[in-house]
Amino acid sequence: MTVTIRTLNELLQPSHLPAHPLATQEYFVNMGPQHPISHGSLRLVLRLDGETVKEVIPVPGFVHRGVEKMCESLTPRQIVPYTDRLDYLSAFMNNWAITRVVETAAGIESNERIETIRTLMSELQRIQSHALWWGVTGMDLGAFTAFLYGFREREVISEIFEETVGARLTMNYIQPGGVMYDIHPNFVKRVKDVMAYMKPIIDEYDTLLSGNVILQERCRNIGILSPEKAIALGCTGPVLRASGVPYDLRKMENYGVYNKVDFNVVVGAVGDCWDRYYVRMQEMRESIRIVEQLIDSIPEGPTMTLRYNLPIEMPEGTYYSQVETARGVFGAFLVAEGKSEKPYPLHFRSPNYNNLWSVTALAPGWRVADIIAILSSLDLVIPDIDR
Amino acid sequence: MSFMDFTDLRYEKRTLGGKILPVVVCPRFNPRSQPMRVFDAVKGLLQGMRLTLGYLLSPSKIVTQQYPENRATLKFPERYRAILKFKYDENGLHKCTGCKNCEVACPNASIKVITRDSVITEDHELDRYIWRLDSCMFCNACVQACPFDAIEMGHAFENAVYDRRLLIYGLNPIAGPAASALENEEDPEVRRRMSDPRTILGGPIPLNGAGLPNLKPVAAAPFVDPLPIAVTDPLPPEDGEGEEVS
Repeated sequence: MTVTIRTLNELLQPSHLPAHPLATQEYFVNMGPQHPISHGSLRLVLRLDGETVKEVIPVPGFVHRGVEKMCESLTPRQIVPYTDRLDYLSAFMNNWAITRVVETAAGIESNERIETIRTLMSELQRIQSHALWWGVTGMDLGAFTAFLYGFREREVISEIFEETVGARLTMNYIQPGGVMYDIHPNFVKRVKDVMAYMKPIIDEYDTLLSGNVILQERCRNIGILSPEKAIALGCTGPVLRASGVPYDLRKMENYGVYNKVDFNVVVGAVGDCWDRYYVRMQEMRESIRIVEQLIDSIPEGPTMTLRYNLPIEMPEGTYYSQVETARGVFGAFLVAEGKSEKPYPLHFRSPNYNNLWSVTALAPGWRVADIIAILSSLDLVIPDIDR
Repeated sequence: MSFMDFTDLRYEKRTLGGKILPVVVCPRFNPRSQPMRVFDAVKGLLQGMRLTLGYLLSPSKIVTQQYPENRATLKFPERYRAILKFKYDENGLHKCTGCKNCEVACPNASIKVITRDSVITEDHELDRYIWRLDSCMFCNACVQACPFDAIEMGHAFENAVYDRRLLIYGLNPIAGPAASALENEEDPEVRRRMSDPRTILGGPIPLNGAGLPNLKPVAAAPFVDPLPIAVTDPLPPEDGEGEEVS
């Protein structure tokens, strides 16, 4: 097998002259780094023939902060707040990934109460993240009203987090040895209220946007990702499941208390933008089911099993743990030297990075406007790509 | 079946990696023939419009908050994390012993604890507690690391200033031993000499804002009045007051 590596410079060489006098010349257009669809700073170089996309060259790196390098000089407890800042819409799940790898390495036992709280928070955040994504997708495709509706539900769940965690976005809640605080006394009641409120709301989302003819026309049969291609590109999460592969770490790895709850893996039939859209809509309903099954039976027990100021000793070795975030598999690979509690090195396997490159397979052949629908259906969070 | 039936979910079992997984397949309806399709399109649009019209006609469902007009009624949850501040006992004395656990726990070095030896007892005690709001990421690590329950995250969140030097705070109004150590001293005169006043922006802090004219921090850590036992003399000139050390 040979691999050809081409630099961005080579890729952006002036295109060929048209072979036929009536044929058009290919040209490049920069989409981003400041583009409403990129939800951050992501540069996409489009090679176009007229309105038709020939090639998409993603150029990530505008939000690169060197988080992994920084983590080499931090203790495990100090790494946790940095993972909030990768995929900020899945902060709990990112915290959980690094916490799991540290707990595996150091052999820290967790208990049922901690795992239940972690699962509950992650599922609430999955609903929140998908609600926001739904609103943003609506806005990307021209329906600004959806954006306001998505933010309305996001706010309701944010208030639950604010009460228990004290933060709305950068949680730093799931930590090695447990969780930062015990749940707030109002938590159970509030979550029940919000879940009762959310169920009809998702049907309302369907009425408002899913049934809209413009969304249907822009999503159905656009950007079909075959299951083979999705696996080959390393896509995970809703993007992979929309292609029909029922790969969900919550079922495959049984972390947390997911083995105790009854829920379905949502898959799509074809793998087009519509399937990626509706997989997330249905996942919100499944997450509500998970939360409702867990909220009444939170076991008793301590919520932090470690003294805070004691160092976490990890024996020499390599460790890997992963969790399913709202966007796919987030993994943390840690090499412990055994000498100090600082890892050397630490690598994050972020779902958005792999999901981003599926655009190179999805976009060719479609029109510029379809790129919007395709990128929107991938639900990218740019800081997670650039890290 | 109508064109847009979102309850048309297919439940089935699929095998992956040796596991049998319950799977739900998303609805996938095929568009109907041309005249019906136009009807479906109009119906979908009208349904959405009816929903938004419903919200227009029932303003009680609208959840918009009129910030900043509602500043007076804004409520924060007790655990809400914003500016870092000291906790004080009923005499207005801090509990910080200068152990530097928070400084060690801080992920990005936003806290600098300067300690000194007491002039009276030669014990290790707090001189200045410097907190950089500009680099703090409100992760609560310092509060969790504090064994003496001396600091907490306050609720003041409107911290914008015109000069970034104003974002570096000295949190302690009084340099001196913690309340627990001060209570051991009987003589009020000695107790008075054990504590010195400190200003929020003063001191030999790189980039500190003490020398800036006419600028005040917006969300200064609330300073309690110095107490019966603390210093009431005019402020002694501080080391490097107003001086910018880079």
